[in-house]
Amino acid sequence: MASPQSPPSPSASFYDMSDDEEGEYNTIRHTTSGKGVKLLYTKSKVYVHPTPSAKDNIPGFIALVQQKPSRASISTTDHPATSSSSQTIAASNLLLTWVPESSLGDAHDIYVKVDLSDSSSPPKRSYLIYSLLVRPPSIGWWFGSLIINTRAGESFPALFFHDSECQSTILQRKKLARESFDPFGDGGGMFWGGDEVLRWLKRYVSVVRSGAEPSIYLIEPDEADKTSFGPKPTTEKVKKMLEGDNKQETAGGSKTSPGAKRDAGMDPMTKALKEARWNFLEKLSQVTTFTRRTAQAVADNPKVPPQVRRLMKNPEVQTLQEEFDSARLYLARWAMGIAEQSERERNQRIWTAKDVLEMEESAVGEFEILDMEAGNLSLSERRKPVTLKEWNGWFDAKSGRLQITPDEVKERIFHGGLHPDDGVRKEAWLFLLGVHEWNSTKEERLASINSRRDEYIRLKGGWWERMVEGHSTPEEAEWWREQKNRIEKDVHRTDRNIEVFAGEDIPHPDPDSPFAEVGTNVHLEQMKDMLLTYNEYNKDLGYVQGMSDLLAPIYAVMQDDAVAFWAFVNFMERMERNFLRDQSGMRLQLLTLDHLVQLMDPKLYLHLQSADSTNFFFFFRMLLVWFKREFEWLDVLRLWESLWTDWLSSNFHLFIALAILEKHRDVIMEHLKRFDEVLKYVNELSGTIDLQTTLVRAEALFRRFERTVQTIDKKHNFPTPSVRQRKPEQQPSSPAGPSQNGAAASSSGTDKGKQSVGDAVAQGIGAEKEKVISPELRNLLSRKVEKLDKAEVRAHGGGVGT
Amino acid sequence: MSSRKKVLLKVNKKFSASYKATIGADFLTKEVLVDDRLVTMQLWDTAGQERFQSLGVAFYRGADCCVLVYDVNNSKSFDTLDSWRDEFLIQASPMDPESFPFVVIGNKIDVEESKRMISTKRAMAFCQSKGGIPYFETSAKEATNVDQAFEVIARQALAQEEAGDFNSDFPETIPINLENDRDGCAC
Repeated sequence: MASPQSPPSPSASFYDMSDDEEGEYNTIRHTTSGKGVKLLYTKSKVYVHPTPSAKDNIPGFIALVQQKPSRASISTTDHPATSSSSQTIAASNLLLTWVPESSLGDAHDIYVKVDLSDSSSPPKRSYLIYSLLVRPPSIGWWFGSLIINTRAGESFPALFFHDSECQSTILQRKKLARESFDPFGDGGGMFWGGDEVLRWLKRYVSVVRSGAEPSIYLIEPDEADKTSFGPKPTTEKVKKMLEGDNKQETAGGSKTSPGAKRDAGMDPMTKALKEARWNFLEKLSQVTTFTRRTAQAVADNPKVPPQVRRLMKNPEVQTLQEEFDSARLYLARWAMGIAEQSERERNQRIWTAKDVLEMEESAVGEFEILDMEAGNLSLSERRKPVTLKEWNGWFDAKSGRLQITPDEVKERIFHGGLHPDDGVRKEAWLFLLGVHEWNSTKEERLASINSRRDEYIRLKGGWWERMVEGHSTPEEAEWWREQKNRIEKDVHRTDRNIEVFAGEDIPHPDPDSPFAEVGTNVHLEQMKDMLLTYNEYNKDLGYVQGMSDLLAPIYAVMQDDAVAFWAFVNFMERMERNFLRDQSGMRLQLLTLDHLVQLMDPKLYLHLQSADSTNFFFFFRMLLVWFKREFEWLDVLRLWESLWTDWLSSNFHLFIALAILEKHRDVIMEHLKRFDEVLKYVNELSGTIDLQTTLVRAEALFRRFERTVQTIDKKHNFPTPSVRQRKPEQQPSSPAGPSQNGAAASSSGTDKGKQSVGDAVAQGIGAEKEKVISPELRNLLSRKVEKLDKAEVRAHGGGVGT
Repeated sequence: MSSRKKVLLKVNKKFSASYKATIGADFLTKEVLVDDRLVTMQLWDTAGQERFQSLGVAFYRGADCCVLVYDVNNSKSFDTLDSWRDEFLIQASPMDPESFPFVVIGNKIDVEESKRMISTKRAMAFCQSKGGIPYFETSAKEATNVDQAFEVIARQALAQEEAGDFNSDFPETIPINLENDRDGCAC
């Protein structure tokens, strides 16, 4: 690539030095041409509104990009003459671009075109920005906007800043509000995204506000421009706007300027890019193939208006896309995946009368308004966490007996969760997990805990003794040794990022252990003992991988081994089916999820079918350990306590799964065509899922499901189904078992059940007449926890008792 | 020219911070250059405990090479190689099981010699008896021999393709139903 006649020039090193403290993290070089671009700033959630309908809005990123010549071809003549300051960047090397989220993902074809057409010179059809029309948010214009006018006289479509969705803007607003001690902090100059774009630009180029037309900002104006649009004396508002930004320091705003403190920093895209480049590099190349089809899909989408298509095909955008390597593609996927798909979100989060009316028109009702009248609490009150004080208030001070109904408690916890810091979990979880009876007195609870402590010590002593004295049969000894190793291995890799499990401050007690050389801590040792005791206690099943994930949160909350052990035992009663040797419990849940998606979203189901993904294996991990690997620690605690209430369904976790799937259904349907793509995409949602909105969506989906079942039952003229009512008082935990439900029940047996729903789908989407509620689906309406009986565990557990 | 290959491998993630027991299945990708061909390999990783293997059919299907890794310091891990091989052939049911490419890797050679349980000779004999499976000894920890092993894995996978790949349609030619796409596109 290097032209032989251009020797390494001093400016090459100059360029390197001019990189800020970020190093070259943000600089992506094209692998073959060596040409690079450096992402100076980016802001997410900048939309183009091609039509008046919000659902056509296209989210994207606005970015300020510096083009860098290839390392080899840099020469002094290329370089701006004004290189007196190390911060100087020639304006001609700066690109202000807008890139739709969806196209960032790919554009392979376009890359190729650019690759062929040009390699060393800057884009030929570069648009010189003449001015920016800036409209801050105001009444009537909820989103602030910015229009780029080129020197050639063209205007690009307005870019709307959806600041409420943009993390960096939100953070910055909060920070400003704190600093100014003004909670509303908007005295006419509310901080918004476009504001920040102007500030970025001012660091590198001359930006002059037009005196004649205050909403116009001129970019690098020449004398003639200034005369026609010349600045007026600065008004208060302008002063505020330009606060800290000296108009003289146009070409290279100093980093120490007071304006800098208002910078929101990089958006998640950039931040994650840095991390991704180093942490996930291996995963990236695969992702590129996910998105290969994206560009074409965007370009072909008839809904994309011509202006946007032009914007996308404009060389600046292409350059940006071309130069950013697969890390960026990964991020696009990532950004898209976690992007609030605003239209769907609106459907599920904001309930206006108009929405309800619109939605109610359809027979099944695509929309569900959440039941607002639960007791006297408003919706927001219900979603507040239960504090220890509120919790204690529910109990009689003297006897310690619960004074409200268990259902009232469950409803509160289901919606609000428990306070994370005040110790209420330690109490309440014991009730939710059945260690304490709901109607017990303080004294009874104390007595029961004491006897359970004794029992735990006895059980623990059992295996301990055997370990010392030897086992009855060689097979048993072998099984035991294997299990012990497995437990130890898993405990040493379970939640080590959580404080209690992090330390390695004591030596390993067993010098023969494979882990003898690594340190351990008292909590890890307790974990091992509890799991070994469980292995002994439930020999028919034994320890299976995944169980350590289920115990860790319980132990961390209780920090008392005996109590945590029994809480875990009770939790395992419902989770046992996930760990059977024949995997029948997991298969049943995956099958139920299959039916649920067929019923609730047949279009998505057809797509998954075409992607060979209707085995729903990509939900295996989520279902096996109840989303433990998908959510952050505190969210797991919050989620589990909701699930333990069995408030709406004892299988509410399947609605959580559905909610996660629904949130991403558009992305999945548009971009993911193969089993491995779906699996990878869903696996990598881990850590990106917002719990609160997922819970709300899951509840709405449950309500919709409930109503769908009712509607279908009516159509089939079934006897009134034993669908539970909404009012908690009227909810005896009726199993709503399949046997009570006429014709549907006759098709029991999982395969047949699947068939019936499958047929309905095959016979045409929306052919409601054909829809049948399978027994698996009907079971979702039950609040009763299904537990395996002992004989079943013995037959399928795969433990030593078999 | 590039090619995508699917390789089944229990990936050792022990040295990364997010090391956790695998639940379900996941894969990493690795690119290897073989004679000017860029081969993108999907390295599939499934849960270790035996009972979770029954769900593995979907993950095994379409594999172009199967890598069996054992710990040279753990004779049990060596003893189970054969059953893993059989399990794979049953689950993946390739058209010609006799010629399906395997690679055996003895890992953890960084551990002191006194702890070593399986000699190179013994491992080689096993590989020979299974139709001449290529054998490597590696240290993932110290990155010894890893690249060499990957190159051979990639070559094996490519050879599988040239020998009339029964799965060549797996990555590339899943028909894309455009009509359906448009229907499904809600946004």
